[in-house]
Amino acid sequence: MTPNPRAGARRPSPVRVALLTLLFAVMTVPVYLLLVNSFKSQQDIQNSPFSLPFGRISLDYLAAAVQSPQYNVLKSYGFTLVLVVAVDLLCILFAGPAAYVIARSLKRRTQFLLLFFLAGTFIPASALIVPLIYVLRAIGLDNTVAGLILHDVAMTLPVSIFLFVGFIRTVPRDIDHAAAIDGAGRLRTYWQVIFPLTRPAVITVLILNSIGIWNDFISPQILLSPGSGTYTVTTAIYAGISQYSTDMTKVFPNLLLAVAPVIIFFVYMQRHIISGLTVGALKG
Amino acid sequence: MLAPAVVVYTVMTIVPVVVALYLSLTDWNGFSAAAFVGLDNYARLFDDPDTTRAGVVTVIVAFFGSVGMLGLGLVYALQLKERNWANSFFRTLAYYPHVISSLILGFLWSAILGTNGAINNTLADLGIGPVGFLFDENLAVITLVGVIVWAGFGFNVVLFVAGLQTVPRELVEAAQIDGASRRQINRRIVIPMIAPVVTVAMVLNLVGLIKVYDIVVSLTDGGPAGATETIAYVILTKSFAGTDVGFATAQAVALMVASAALSVVVTALRNRQDRAATG
Repeated sequence: MTPNPRAGARRPSPVRVALLTLLFAVMTVPVYLLLVNSFKSQQDIQNSPFSLPFGRISLDYLAAAVQSPQYNVLKSYGFTLVLVVAVDLLCILFAGPAAYVIARSLKRRTQFLLLFFLAGTFIPASALIVPLIYVLRAIGLDNTVAGLILHDVAMTLPVSIFLFVGFIRTVPRDIDHAAAIDGAGRLRTYWQVIFPLTRPAVITVLILNSIGIWNDFISPQILLSPGSGTYTVTTAIYAGISQYSTDMTKVFPNLLLAVAPVIIFFVYMQRHIISGLTVGALKG
Repeated sequence: MLAPAVVVYTVMTIVPVVVALYLSLTDWNGFSAAAFVGLDNYARLFDDPDTTRAGVVTVIVAFFGSVGMLGLGLVYALQLKERNWANSFFRTLAYYPHVISSLILGFLWSAILGTNGAINNTLADLGIGPVGFLFDENLAVITLVGVIVWAGFGFNVVLFVAGLQTVPRELVEAAQIDGASRRQINRRIVIPMIAPVVTVAMVLNLVGLIKVYDIVVSLTDGGPAGATETIAYVILTKSFAGTDVGFATAQAVALMVASAALSVVVTALRNRQDRAATG
């Protein structure tokens, strides 16, 4: 690094220019290649990967990926979205009231529950999933979507409960007492009074869990066998690429379909997402 | 109100851990009766060449990946800490891979770096290569670390920028008046003040990378000749898929213990930091 030009100088230092140019190149080139090669023939992809031959670009490859009968990424959006919504709903439904009880309890035993849940954040999914198969088999949920959803919910509970407990503790207890005097039970107090007040924490949890479940590969890959015919975006891409790995006119359009919704969602909600994931990582 | 969360969590997380502890003491193929073999599977962890190599690869990837993300994170956070639209654009640009599945990032980079990928096809026109980014045993490990750092350093940038914005402006201005250079200010004031965030980021990186699996599957599929297999990869694609369930669960327990040990360090550091912050 060079010494700082005098304060007030407007021109950026050469080091800054070099660093940011490098950053721009390294971060945009993969996306550029993904974009242009999704519309090129195998020959053009092989001979001139970086070029965009205007005369020969074609929507055919993307159309073929969209209509593909096998491992169709576009169709897998549907199942992945259902999975994300189901896990999000169940997680909020289970984590919210549990966090409320933990946050408001004065008993040591209930407080201890928080540590019990936090222990879950120590367990990597890749290690947990092997014995989990046998547990699911014992309760008749192996190779079912219900089994996958319950596993995903269990994986999201620890951090969600932790974030909710932290937030609920900032809500004054007087509000609970007021609701109690008005005759509301504890469950009703939570959903009608406390839950709306914890909206920022709910948004953080939803973003954290939705991105995690949408991108998850291990759980659907191991818990749903290929024979089930049910694919998430990641397992569809995985199954597809192991079939057509050298046909770049299939690889690039399918990868484009897989990243497009996430990139659009990210561009649209980036401030919420970045702050949500940062809070989730730092506090979780 | 507690019951649903406790039941789902216990059945799906705690019970499998207990089952893993039991199965790791047995020789079982997943179908016939399990035979109790004591700690044999744990002894095998240190004898089995695939496992020991994967252990070394995992440590290399976790260490160099964490250091790389931390270093680049710090360099770019110092460049991008001021609030303006250009910095916010570059921060977003550095960050975006963090929200994409690492399985997909791995496939994308293997299409770019493979023997028939964009880079090698371009180099071939210049009469160079092919470069074995993914097919040379040593280079493949470096490529794996490089792609992991590419995908993850933006997250470190964002963490550090959040830390840097808490450094009091007056402190930096006072140093400037005293004639300190930017380099001196960074080294003597700014970096020591964000040390707690750096520590937390370091351990978050390590905990994330010790279980790395998706990107290995899609970038190299463990190859060439097993040179990039990590512990998580060996558990899921070799021991478990090969119906060596007893051994797979012993490896899984070892990974849980390693991950828990690192996480305990995070929690301890964070608690110390919280206490320091609240006085």
